[in-house]
Parts: sequence; C-alpha cells; structure tokens
Amino acid sequence: MRNAPQRSQAADQKRVPRRALYYACLALLFIGFAAVATQDALANTPTIRLFPTTVVEDLKQTGNVARDMETGLQEIIGRLDQQQELYQESKCDGADNDSGCQRLARQIGATYLEMLTVMDERLPDMEHTVNNTRRSLEKGLRNELGKKMTPWTLQETLIGGKADNPAAASAPTLRGRSGMRLSERFSQYYQLVATSGAKGDQSLAVLASDIYLDMEETSTLIQRTRQEIARATLMEQLNQSFGIITPEMIEVVGGVKSILFGDLESTALVAGPPPGSVEQAYRSPLEQ
Amino acid sequence: MNKQTLKKPFLLVAGLLVTSGIFAACASNAPSCAGPQSKNLASAINTSQTSLATGCQAHFDRYFDDLLTIAEGDPKPENKRAFSEFLVWSSDQGLLSNRQAEDYYNRYFNVKFMSMKGDYNNCSHTCPNKQRVLFNMERELSDKERGLLKVSLDNAGYNRADQLYQEVELVLEATCTACSAGR
Repeated sequence: MRNAPQRSQAADQKRVPRRALYYACLALLFIGFAAVATQDALANTPTIRLFPTTVVEDLKQTGNVARDMETGLQEIIGRLDQQQELYQESKCDGADNDSGCQRLARQIGATYLEMLTVMDERLPDMEHTVNNTRRSLEKGLRNELGKKMTPWTLQETLIGGKADNPAAASAPTLRGRSGMRLSERFSQYYQLVATSGAKGDQSLAVLASDIYLDMEETSTLIQRTRQEIARATLMEQLNQSFGIITPEMIEVVGGVKSILFGDLESTALVAGPPPGSVEQAYRSPLEQ
Repeated sequence: MNKQTLKKPFLLVAGLLVTSGIFAACASNAPSCAGPQSKNLASAINTSQTSLATGCQAHFDRYFDDLLTIAEGDPKPENKRAFSEFLVWSSDQGLLSNRQAEDYYNRYFNVKFMSMKGDYNNCSHTCPNKQRVLFNMERELSDKERGLLKVSLDNAGYNRADQLYQEVELVLEATCTACSAGR
C-alpha cells in the first residue's frame, strides 16, 4: 500500500512521454495528410508548358541584342540632340543660304546616317532572336491553349480555380507598355518567365499571350524599319549634298528614341480593383 | 305561328347569354400573370412562385427580370442565396431544366462566362467564332454587373469577371493568331 502512490507517480511519469508521443504522432499524421492533400491538389491542376528553356534563352538573347543596339545608338542620338539644339539656337530655321547653317545641317545629316547604319547593322540580329522567341511561343500557344483546351478549360485556367480569391485579381495585364527601354522590357519579360515557376498557370497564359503579341508587332516593325532604312539612307545621302534637314529626319529620330529609350510621358498606371468584401462568399449548388 | 316567332329571338338571346357566361367563367379562371408588386425580395419571390406554379410559367423570364429589379432596390450579399434557392425551386417544379437553372444563376452571379463554353478545342471551335464569342461575353458581363454588383454588392467578384473578360480577349487574340499561323 505504501508503494501505491510511488507506483502511480511512476505511471504518471510514463504517461507524460506517452502523451507527448501521441501528440507527436497526431501532428505527424496531420502534416502527412496536409502534404498528401496539397500534392493531390497540385496534381489535379492542369500544367501548361508555355515557356520551354529555349524561350527563356531567346528572351535573354533578345534583351542582350537590344541593349547592344541601345548602347550603340545612345551616344549618336545624344550627339544628334546637341547638334539640333545648336541648329535651333543659331536660328538656322529658314536660313538655308547661310553657309554656317548648311555646314551644321550636313553634320546633322551625317550623324543621322550614322544612326541608320548602326540600326541596319544591329537589326538583323534583333530580328533573328525576336522571330525565334515568337515561333517558340506560337507553337506553345497553339498546342497548349489552342488544341489541348476547350473554351471552358481555358477560362478555368485563367481564373486558376480561385474565382473568389482577391489575390488572383492583382495580376496586371502587360499589353501596351511604353515608357520603357526596349532592353529593359525584354529583361522584365525574361525575369517574369524565369521566375514563372512560382506563378499559377493563369498568369503564364496571359504572360505568354502578351509576349507573343508583342513579338509579332516587334517583328513586323523590324521588317518595316529595315525596308525604310535603305530608303532613308539613300534620301539622306542625296540631302547631304544640299545640307537640308528634313522634317522626316526629326520624326525618325524621335520615333527611334521613343522605341529604344521609352516615352516617359505616356507611362500608364495600372489601376487596382476597388476594395471588395473579403468575407466568405456564398456558394450556390448551381455554381459551376 | 306566333309562338314560334316569339321563341326564335328568345332562344337566340338565351344562347348568347350562355356563351358569354362560359367566356366569363373562362376569363375569371385565367391567371393574370401580373408581376410582383412588393418591394421586398422574399415576398416578391413568394408571389412569383405562386404565379409561376399556377399557369404563368411562360412568363418566367419576365418574373426573373422583375425580381432582379426588386433586388437592385435592396442590394446585399444574401440576395445571391435567394436567387439560387428560387432557381433550384424552379428546377424542382419543372419550370426550368437543371441546365437552364445553372445557366441563369451563373450568367448573373458567377465570375465565369457561360457564353464561353464548348466541347471542342479553341483552334477549331472558338477561333472561327472569336468575334461572336467576345460579343456574347460582353453582353454577359453586363448581366454580371447587374447580378454581382447591383444585386449582391460583390465588387470583387465583378472586378474579377471584368478582368477575366480582358484576359480572355488577350489570350484568344494570341492563341487564334498562333492557330492560324500553324495552318
């Protein structure tokens, strides 16, 4: 009888680690269950392969080519700006017969020709990498979104199975981003694609579509620019003998500047949705 | 002879009376199918259910529209449930098929677009009809504005639907260009 309390104490001491063991087992079971459930949920989400490694590499390459072109042109365009400023300050507008003004105009024309030459040299590389990216994305979009999906599954992919999730609404659409350097734009695309593993399929589909359409436009623009460069070079070589600054010249330089270095005035802000209720929404049995 | 000549107009009048009596009886039995008068959604739904169950099922669209207008007068998140229950009741009563009930509910109260449905792939089914699909989605978006925003005060839901519409527009443009390039 004297030993009874001691025995119960010993039993208590044994019970405490056993209880801890139970809790540990329960916790392990719970973690295991959660892991299986998460894996199951991930497995049920259809994965789409829109960005193979070739696209990522092509984007990186396009960014590098664009940066090289910018670096080559930056100094020339800076010089052109200075020369134009000097031309205006010297009140050369309309003073076509003044020999000093004619000399200035010829200098501007020569710099303009230099700019066209640099562009002509760099554009084929640019066209090549842009077309590579465009073709890879085209194939991915056609197969993954065009042929493997119905309109309903495409919709479900875009919504990410989380129609009520306000976080899903925060991804902005990227189309029409001006006010950004060309190389910076490609660099951003590269960053977005390279880190796309953490994103859902819904933003990947939008991103791939956005880049593809941008590449389509860029490719067409490069083609047209290359055709125009040949014509503009010939015209400017003719103008050199007269020392004339044509309005077309100024327009082209302005266009190149806005494409390469961005037009800061037209920077658009992406508006966020108004604060909505984050309460658990009612879910009807009719909802699909 | 005189009796017979008197009988004829009498029979004619009696016949007319009987016929008009029959017509009057029929007219009084036909439901009026008037829209719900109450501004309270619950009682308007009750009135509509009574009318729909007693011969006014042909006017379902009008009743549904009237109920939406009434709910717009007192917008709140619970209205979603009221409409869902009304549509489930309509389906149970055989006024609508289950698919019709789903279409009604999702068109007004769900983020996803019922006008973007189909069993075939996008290259072959959606792209050839892209403009029509987008036009129908735009119309559906205005119904969602009514259901989600004006009736249920679900701003986040409506914004998501609006964003989904824009995303679909962008993704379809790219996908359909890619599909046509592969031909």
